[in-house]
Amino acid sequence: MTAEKIVVSKFRHFFETADGPVQATDTVDLAIRAGEFVTLVGPSGCGKTTLLKAIAGFIRPTEGTIECDGKPVRGPGRDRGVVFQEFAILPWRTVRRNISHGLEIGRVPRQRREKIVTRLIELTGLAGFEHRYPHELSGGMRQRVAVARTWAADPDVILMDEPFAAVDAMTRLTLQEELARLSAATRKTVFFITHSVDEAVFLGDRVLVMTRHPGKIKAVIDVPGRASGRDWESFKVDPGMLAIVEQVLRLVREERGAAAPSAADAQRAEARA
Amino acid sequence: MSLASAPSVAAKSPGSASVLGGALQNLTGLRILLPFAVLVAVWWAIKAGGDFPDNLLVSPLQAWNAFVLLVSHGVIAEYASTSLTMLGIAAFVSLAVGVPIGFVVGVNRYAAHALEGFLRFLQGISGIAWLPLAIIWFGFSHTTTLVIVIYTLIVPILFNTMVGVRAIPESYALALRSLGASRLRLVVDVYLPGALPSIVVGLRLGMGYGWRALIAAEMLVRKGGLGDLIFGARTFGQIDRIMVGMIVIGCLYIVVDRLIIQPIENLTVARWGLLRK
Repeated sequence: MTAEKIVVSKFRHFFETADGPVQATDTVDLAIRAGEFVTLVGPSGCGKTTLLKAIAGFIRPTEGTIECDGKPVRGPGRDRGVVFQEFAILPWRTVRRNISHGLEIGRVPRQRREKIVTRLIELTGLAGFEHRYPHELSGGMRQRVAVARTWAADPDVILMDEPFAAVDAMTRLTLQEELARLSAATRKTVFFITHSVDEAVFLGDRVLVMTRHPGKIKAVIDVPGRASGRDWESFKVDPGMLAIVEQVLRLVREERGAAAPSAADAQRAEARA
Repeated sequence: MSLASAPSVAAKSPGSASVLGGALQNLTGLRILLPFAVLVAVWWAIKAGGDFPDNLLVSPLQAWNAFVLLVSHGVIAEYASTSLTMLGIAAFVSLAVGVPIGFVVGVNRYAAHALEGFLRFLQGISGIAWLPLAIIWFGFSHTTTLVIVIYTLIVPILFNTMVGVRAIPESYALALRSLGASRLRLVVDVYLPGALPSIVVGLRLGMGYGWRALIAAEMLVRKGGLGDLIFGARTFGQIDRIMVGMIVIGCLYIVVDRLIIQPIENLTVARWGLLRK
C-alpha cells in the first residue's frame, strides 16, 4: 500500500458568467499515489485544466473536496509546483535566476541554492545558457527552464498542464524523454495533462481518460514498466505499449466522434480555463 | 609562430573595427542633423530673400549672436535650470503617486473598468485648461506651474501603469504563487518589472506633454523658466531672444529624452526583449 498523495472526491465545478453558471466538469473522483506519474487525456474543453487548477489551489471547487497529504487544499502552495503550457518563466530574469526563483522565495542559503541550480541546469541540458534571458532561447529551452524551476523548488507534487503543446514536434520528443528520466530519477508525484494519447501512455504509470464536456473520468488504464525507463525508439516497437495506445485512442475517439450537444458550453468553459 | 602573431592581430582588430564603427556612427549622426540644416538654410533664405525687418525676423547668425550673449551672461543657464528643475520635481512626484495608484487600479479589474472613462475625460482637459483655476488658488507662483505639470504627467503615467499591470500574463503570478511567493514578492518580482515597459512609455509620453505644459504655464505665471524668457522677450520685441529660447526648449527636450529616458529603457526593457515599438 502506497500512501495517497492527492485525493479528489466528488469534485464538480461551475464558472460564474454573465449568463449564469457554466458547468466546467462533471463529478470527478481520483487518487494519485506518492511517486506515481498520472497522465490525464481528454478532448478540448472537457475540464482537464479546471481540475488541475483546482488541485493547484488556483480555483476553489464549487462542489467536493481536494486533499493533499490528507489536508484540504486551500490555495496554491510550495508542496504543489505547476508547469504551464505557455512558458510562464519571467522575461526579466536570466535562466539561472529563473530556476533559482523558488529557492530564493524559500530562503534557501546561497551556496545550497547554487548547487541545486547547477545540477538542474546540467540535467535539463541548459549548460552554457545560464546567463541568457528567455527571449534569447527557443521554445523548447524556455520550457526546460520552467521545468527546472519547478523541480528546483522540490515540491512533493508536480502539476503539468500540456507543457509541451507549444514546442515543435522534434523538440517535444526530446523533452518527453528528458521528463521521463527526470521524474524517474527524482521519484516525484506528477499529474500531467495532455491531449496527445502517445504522450499520455509514454509518460504515465496510469492514464486517465476524460469524457467530453462536462468531463468526468471515463477510464483508467495502467501502463506497466515506467520504472525501467522509457525512450521513444523502443516504445514505438513495443507491441504491449502500442496495444495500450490503441486502446486509449479508441476511448478518446469515442468522445471526439460523439456529437457534443453542448459545444458552445464547452467552448465557453475552455475560454474560462 | 602563429601563436606569437595572434595577439597583435587581436589587438589590432578592435582598433580598426572602432574606426569603421566611428565612421558609420558619424554618418548616422549626419542623417539626424540633416533636417536641422535644411531648416536653417530655409530660414536664412527667407530672411535674405524677403525684406523682413529685425523686429519681425532675425537671421540665424543674429540668433547665434544672441545665443552667445545670453549664454555668456548666464541667462540661459538660469532660465533653463528653473525649467528643468520644475520638470524633474514634477516627474518625481508623478511617478511616486501615479505608479502606485496605477498598480492598485490595474490589479482590480472592476476599478480599472470604472476609471477608464474618467481618465479619458481628464486627458481631454489639458493642463493649460487648469491654469485659470490654479492661478486663482495658488497665485502666480511655482506651485501653480508644478500643479499644471504634475497633472499633465500623472495621467499618462497612471494610465500606462494600469495598462502594463493588466497586460502581464496571469500564469507569471500563478507560477510564483505555487513557488510560495508572498503578495509583496509578487509585486516586486512580477508586477513591477512586468509593468515597467509600459511605465517607461507613460513616462516618455508624460515628459513630452509635461515639457510643453511647463513652457505654457511659465509664460503666464512669469516666475522664471524658458517660457518666461521667451514671453518676456516679446514685450520688448526681441525676436532673437524668442527664437533662441524656442531652439533651446527643443534641444533640451531631446537631451532629457536621450540622456534620461533612453538609458532606463536600454538597461531594462530592451535587455529583457520587451521593447514595444
